[in-house]
Amino acid sequence: MSLQILINSILLGGIYALMGIGFSLQWGISGIINLSYGAMVILGAYISLECFNLFQIDPFVSMIISGAILFVIGAIVYRGLLQPLLAGGIIFTLILTFGVRLIVENIILKVWSPNYRNIRPAYIGSTIQVGDTYIPLTKLIVFFIAAVVIYLTYLFMMKTKTGKGIQAVALDKEGAQAVGIDVEKMYLINFAVGTALAGLTGSLWASVYNFSPHLINSITGKVFIVAVLGGLGNIWGAAVGGLFLGIAEAVGLLLFGAEWQEAVGLGIMVGVLIWRPYGLIGQKFFG
Amino acid sequence: MKLLIENNKKINILLFITLMIVFIFLPFFLSGYWIRVFTTIFMYAVIAQGMNIMYGYMGYLPFGNVMFFGIGAYIAAIGMNRGLPFLAVLPLAALTAIFLSILFGIPVLKIRGHYFAIATIGINGAIMGVVQNTTEITGGAMGTTLPIIDKPPAVTYGYFYFAMLALMIIATLLLYLVINSKLGYGIRSIKANEEAANSMGINTIYHKVTAWAISALFVSIAGALYAYWMSFIGPTEVFSTVVAVKVIVIMLIGGAGTILGPIIGSFIVSMLSEVVWSSFLEYHLGVLGIAMIAILFFAPKGIVGTMDDFIKNRGLRLRKKVSV
Repeated sequence: MSLQILINSILLGGIYALMGIGFSLQWGISGIINLSYGAMVILGAYISLECFNLFQIDPFVSMIISGAILFVIGAIVYRGLLQPLLAGGIIFTLILTFGVRLIVENIILKVWSPNYRNIRPAYIGSTIQVGDTYIPLTKLIVFFIAAVVIYLTYLFMMKTKTGKGIQAVALDKEGAQAVGIDVEKMYLINFAVGTALAGLTGSLWASVYNFSPHLINSITGKVFIVAVLGGLGNIWGAAVGGLFLGIAEAVGLLLFGAEWQEAVGLGIMVGVLIWRPYGLIGQKFFG
Repeated sequence: MKLLIENNKKINILLFITLMIVFIFLPFFLSGYWIRVFTTIFMYAVIAQGMNIMYGYMGYLPFGNVMFFGIGAYIAAIGMNRGLPFLAVLPLAALTAIFLSILFGIPVLKIRGHYFAIATIGINGAIMGVVQNTTEITGGAMGTTLPIIDKPPAVTYGYFYFAMLALMIIATLLLYLVINSKLGYGIRSIKANEEAANSMGINTIYHKVTAWAISALFVSIAGALYAYWMSFIGPTEVFSTVVAVKVIVIMLIGGAGTILGPIIGSFIVSMLSEVVWSSFLEYHLGVLGIAMIAILFFAPKGIVGTMDDFIKNRGLRLRKKVSV
C-alpha cells in the first residue's frame, strides 16, 4: 500500500476516532445507544455552514460554537427525554433516540434542503508535499485538531473532578452515590459531552468533505463500528478504533472496490462482537 | 384487555376469529387505497410476529431482523427475473433466509443484549452493502423490478390483500403452536433465565437458532410478497432501519410477548403512519418522531397495557368510594 493511501486513511481515521468517542461514551457509560448521533454530527456541520455563510467564521473556529450548541441540545435531550425513560431499557432508548433523529433530520431537510453542501475557506486548495505524497492542508489541520480534542477529552475524564466523577459512576454507581457524587448530573454531563463531540466533529467534517442529511445513516454506522472496535466507554480505544477503521476502509477499497467499504467495516464490527466484545484493545473495564 | 388476552382463551379465540371474518369481507367494501393500507398492516404484523418470537418470547432483540425481509424480497426478484414463477421463488426465498439465519445465528446468538442487537444491525448493513454492489445480479443501488402481473389493479390488490392476510393468520397460528409446544417452553425459559435453562439441560443454542429460523421464515415470505406486490424494490427500502424501528414500536404498542399484540400494534402504527404521511408531507419525519416519543411517554405499556391499567385503576377508585 502506498504511503499516500496510508496517510489519507490515517487522516480520515482521525475524524472517525473523534466521532466515535462521543458515541462510545454515551453507550459505554450510560448504556444509551444514541441513534440520533449521526444527525447531531450533521447538525454541527450545518451550524458551521451558517457561521461561515453569515459571519464568515472559519469552521475551525465555529467548531467551538457547534460543540457548545450541541452540548446544550444534548443536555436538553438527556434531561427532558432520556432520563425519565431510562427504566424502559434498550427498546425505549432505541425508539426515543430514533425519534429524535427523525425530528433533527426533518429540521435539517426543511431548513437546508437535501442538497450536498460544503464550506470552502480561502486556503482550501493548498497541499503540503512530503516526498511523493501530497497532504491536503485542511485534512492535516483537521487531524491535529481531532488529536488535540481527543487528548483534551482524555484529560477531562481523567484529571478533572467532573470527569473522575463520571468514571466513578461508570465503575460503581452505588459506590459513587455513597461518596456523595451526583450520579444523575454525571450522566447528564457525559451525554452532553458526547453530543458536543458529535457537533464538533461535524464542523471538522464540513471543512473537508461535502455533507447532507443523506450521510446520517453512514455516519451512524461508522460510529457504531468505532465504538465497538475500541470498547465501549474507552477513549483511547475509540481513537485506535477510528484509525483502524480508516485504514480498514482503505484496504477494503484496494481489495474490493469503493462500494464495499461499508460492508467491510460492518463485517469487522460483527466479527469483533463475536470474538472480542470488549474491543480490540480493551479489557473488561466498564463491562 | 391484556388480562383477557393472557388468561381468557375463549375470548381471545373469539376475538381472533371475529377479526379474521371481518378482514375476509372487508375488501369488498373498501377502496383500492384502503385495501393497500390493510395489506401493509398485515405485512407489518407478520414482520412484528417475527420480532415477537425473538424478543417477546425469547428476550433477544434482533434489531436488524429486517435483513430477512430484504433477502426474501431480493431472492424473489432475482428468481422471477430469471423466469421462475412466484410460487417457486417463495420457498426459495424462505429457505435462503432460514439458511442464513442458521449460518449467522450460530456465532451471533452467543452474544447477548445490546451487543446482539447491534451485531444484527451490522449484518443487515453488510448484506445491504453486498446487494448494493453486486449490480449485475441485484440491480445494485438502483433497485430492481419484478414481472408485473397482467391483471387489472383492483384484482391484483385483492390477491395481495388475501395473500398477506393468509400469511398473517398462518404466522400467528404457527407462533401460537410453537409457543405452546416443548420448543416454545424452551424458548421462553431462555427469556426467563438463560443460565438456569442451560443448567437444566436445555440446549439453548438449538432453541435460539430455531427461533431465529422461524422468525426468518415469516419475515422473508413477507419480503417476497412485498417485492412481487410492489414490482420494484431498492436496497435501502427493504433493508431499512426505519422499518426495523417501526416494528419495534409496533411490538411495544401492541405488547411484546402476546400472540395478538403485533397485530394490534401494526394496526395502530400503520394507521398513525398513514395519517401522518397524508397530513404532514413535508414534516412527516419529524411528526413521526414526535409521535414515537409521545407513545413512550404516554403509553409505555402499549395501548393494551395502558387501557388495562386504566380499567384496574377505575375499579380501585370505585371500590375506595364504596368502602368509605
